[in-house]
Amino acid sequence: MANTSFWTGSEKYLCDLDLAQAFHMARTLGMPLLIEGEPGTGKTELPIQFSKDLDLELFVYPVGSKSNVEQFVARFDHVKYLRDSQIEILNAQREEKGLSQKLSTGGRDTENLSDYVVLGPAAKAFSSPNSILLIDEIDKAPREFPNDLLYALSHRKFILPESGEVIEVSEEDMPAIIITSNREQELPTAFKGRCIYHYIHFPDADVMREIIAKHYPKIETKIVDVALDVFYHLRNIGLERAPTTREILNWLKYIKQYSEKEAIEKIENLEGIGALIKTQSDLEKIQKAILRNPDDYSRRSTPN
Amino acid sequence: MLETLPNKLRDYKLHADVRTLLLLRKSMSKGLVKTLGDMYNVLKGIVVKDPEMMGPFTRAFYDYFLNIDIQNGERLNDAILRSETFRQWRDDIKERQKDFDLDDDQLVNRFLDEVHLTTYDIKKIISGKDIFENDDPNLEDDMGDESGEVRHKHLDKMADYSDLSLEELMERLKKIAEQQNSKHSGGSHWIGTGGISPFGHGGAAKDGIRIGGSGGGKMARKVINDRKYYPVDLDAIINDNNVDAALASLKGITEESAHEQLDVESTIKKGLKRGGLFIPEIKNILNEKLQVILLIDNGGYSMDPFIPMVQELFKKMKTRFAHDLETYYFHNTIYDRVFSDSRRFKPVFIDKILSKDKNYRIFIIGDAAMAPYELNSVSLRTYKKIRKKFKKTVWLNPEPTKYWHHTFTINLLRQMIDMYPLTPRGIEEAVRDMNAIN
Repeated sequence: MANTSFWTGSEKYLCDLDLAQAFHMARTLGMPLLIEGEPGTGKTELPIQFSKDLDLELFVYPVGSKSNVEQFVARFDHVKYLRDSQIEILNAQREEKGLSQKLSTGGRDTENLSDYVVLGPAAKAFSSPNSILLIDEIDKAPREFPNDLLYALSHRKFILPESGEVIEVSEEDMPAIIITSNREQELPTAFKGRCIYHYIHFPDADVMREIIAKHYPKIETKIVDVALDVFYHLRNIGLERAPTTREILNWLKYIKQYSEKEAIEKIENLEGIGALIKTQSDLEKIQKAILRNPDDYSRRSTPN
Repeated sequence: MLETLPNKLRDYKLHADVRTLLLLRKSMSKGLVKTLGDMYNVLKGIVVKDPEMMGPFTRAFYDYFLNIDIQNGERLNDAILRSETFRQWRDDIKERQKDFDLDDDQLVNRFLDEVHLTTYDIKKIISGKDIFENDDPNLEDDMGDESGEVRHKHLDKMADYSDLSLEELMERLKKIAEQQNSKHSGGSHWIGTGGISPFGHGGAAKDGIRIGGSGGGKMARKVINDRKYYPVDLDAIINDNNVDAALASLKGITEESAHEQLDVESTIKKGLKRGGLFIPEIKNILNEKLQVILLIDNGGYSMDPFIPMVQELFKKMKTRFAHDLETYYFHNTIYDRVFSDSRRFKPVFIDKILSKDKNYRIFIIGDAAMAPYELNSVSLRTYKKIRKKFKKTVWLNPEPTKYWHHTFTINLLRQMIDMYPLTPRGIEEAVRDMNAIN
């Protein structure tokens, strides 16, 4: 029986209420949850933390530009099949010549085709009830991939190659399927139609404070205040690649080893800004902004 | 029941059909919809497939379920304040509560909280009474001298809602839909009327308990007041706001091509059938590629406003795909040459372009409006040649379509080259039609 309880996050993970509800809804309906949102908003974290918190098995399929349904579901290992069938011939010849030593096929039998079927994450998840299947960054996939997935997702059934074996799962035992996308390409409408859709909004300062508290419970509030001030300021000046949750966490990880006073000083001098800013042109933009508007930054040097 | 819902959603340009209803029904039978707030969330999950759809969805929802019609650009607060639904709800509260001293803002907030109250909120209240302690301090005043016991009763009442059968729930929803049309339905209006419907959470609401977790209300408020939740107008000439939408439609022009590779699988398979004689088998590997030539009319004032946008659009396209994209410029119409720089100093003869691979896609971007004598035989012949060589040639015209048939040269060129408006939708159509050509 799939887990359809309402889950609102764990000690380490702050699950936004809207997301928790959408996730609950998807599990209850046995439909995949499609999460979109800016990078670094914790899309991938959801299934990972869910699996950790409830101790459920997690299967991950990271999507790339060469992804196909075979990798995702199951493929037939032709090379092994060839090797084993050659070994059989060899063994027969050896036997003829009176040699007792035989080569091993590792327990596989060429007569039994399912020995050569390599299961992908989807097939594994579908054959273990109450598991979680994460399809990460589906927007990286070739255009036909999401449509190919449609069949499997709507029929809850895979037919394995060559062996013809069928993996089927009832609606109740359907694994929790989470699909993430950074919106680098538009997904087909039909595909979206089969998913429960949720868009993660970038957390505002209050939520961010909670997230930070979950990661670094001991950090001084004052440091966080000053850092967030800078962080949201940077997000608003229209950078090519605005810093995200992941980046502020990394930055604070560096900052928090210092005393409060030192830390605040470091934040104001934008030390370790490389953790936040990822492109050269953004860095230049910030430097220009500081030159143009020094007040904006020096004001912070007297925290009150 | 709710049969008219898909139509209402479609009025707001959202995708909705019978499947929407089936899914909604399934959600109800699974117990996901107990309150109006649940309804909002569940429908949102089913209907909204893009953050830009949030605005229209919220409007459709308020229109259908609450009979609150939010005008374009209007703030949610104002729409609520002027609605009949809200007035009835307020009167209802006033009747019940003697010492009534909430201002409009607070009232709207409370209204939103009630509308967006979900089962999750209720469960939260039942499971953890600490919410009451943590909730805002006014609470105690609102509670008056009611004892804790009463509080529990209310909680029980709320809990009862989750035991409603699907049929009961449907029945009640049906009532809501009906009440839409008969505005004044006395005391039985669904919202704020204690106990009569699960959507009012009356017991809780009328005694002024502020329900914890007003997230839904806040969200709706944000959605309605935030421009970014509105879909870009797909029929507007491309501009800063919809350049991304245009880009999305352009993505369709990446093309798959194939190259050959040794097919290990079938080599083995066939080799085995041959009894161990392996002969290499070849298979085609698909590749995505993009070959685009842009011909942009950058002469004359009529085109000026569009050029940066078009360049931006295709530049984004290029960085996204890093493929073959060439841009040339011309003035009003193409004769025997185009120019590789926007100031039109460096000529490139049309013959050179015609010598390129015939799989290039040609986008001609211009208003195609000129004096008839400008479009002479040389120019017409050039267009014919381009069209003949490159099967996938389209013309994108920033001029609104309704003016097209007034302009002689547009009419003429349209007969030779398929013309589409320079809007996200136009581009999408152009790309789709291009892809259909083989």
